[in-house]
Amino acid sequence: MYYQQKKSIVSIVISVILLSVYYIYIIGKLNAGAVTLDDAKFFAVTMLIFIGIGIVATIAVQIIFHILFSISIAVQEREKDSETIEHVVKAAMVEDERDKLIDLKSSRITVIVSMFGFVVGLLLLALDYPFGVMLNIFYGAAGLGAIGEDVSKLIYYRVR
Amino acid sequence: MDKHLTITNTIRTLRFFAGEMSQQLLAEKAGVSRQTILAVEAGKYSPSLELAFRIALVFGVPIGEVFSCEECERAAANKPGTQQEGHA
Repeated sequence: MYYQQKKSIVSIVISVILLSVYYIYIIGKLNAGAVTLDDAKFFAVTMLIFIGIGIVATIAVQIIFHILFSISIAVQEREKDSETIEHVVKAAMVEDERDKLIDLKSSRITVIVSMFGFVVGLLLLALDYPFGVMLNIFYGAAGLGAIGEDVSKLIYYRVR
Repeated sequence: MDKHLTITNTIRTLRFFAGEMSQQLLAEKAGVSRQTILAVEAGKYSPSLELAFRIALVFGVPIGEVFSCEECERAAANKPGTQQEGHA
């Protein structure tokens, strides 16, 4: 498995954890009766916090992954000199036109799933469901879209 | 007209004649990852025109010696001018 594929797996894990933690937190609050689905401000603030956490966590984990990946290559090539190891690490992490094409193709998944979630949310709002339901469906769809994007990247790397 | 062209390449052969050049070395010289060279060589990925030229440049051959297209060759063979020349 190559660098880009491993990077996608790391992204999937982060997205799944963040989405799960968000819904566990929300369901816990709703079950405890601390909030209702009409409390749009609570959901907006919580989502903003989770988006912030998501960005920071993604950057931090990707940096850690980058370091660990470099270390694993350095360990594999330990008998070679430092210049060669550096060269091998750079070669393993190179991003080229195929990676960009796969990125572009996969990003369509996020857009499609997010739009689908948005439309479903609007439909439920039109059917008199609380605003919180629409927000949570949209948030979930965006999260699932991000996971779908990384899954499709893995598929593209396998078949193309 | 068929949507997809059957593009073939001779990268494996060219690597052999270049002293069994490794995919990694070719990738480095062409400025791409080894996975991309692997995908191009296996015919799974059609490179951009620029990358195709860069691969040809590494081997020092014209691009037509690296990549060819069955449909294009058939069309070239069926071209009226070519046939006349062939019959002459």
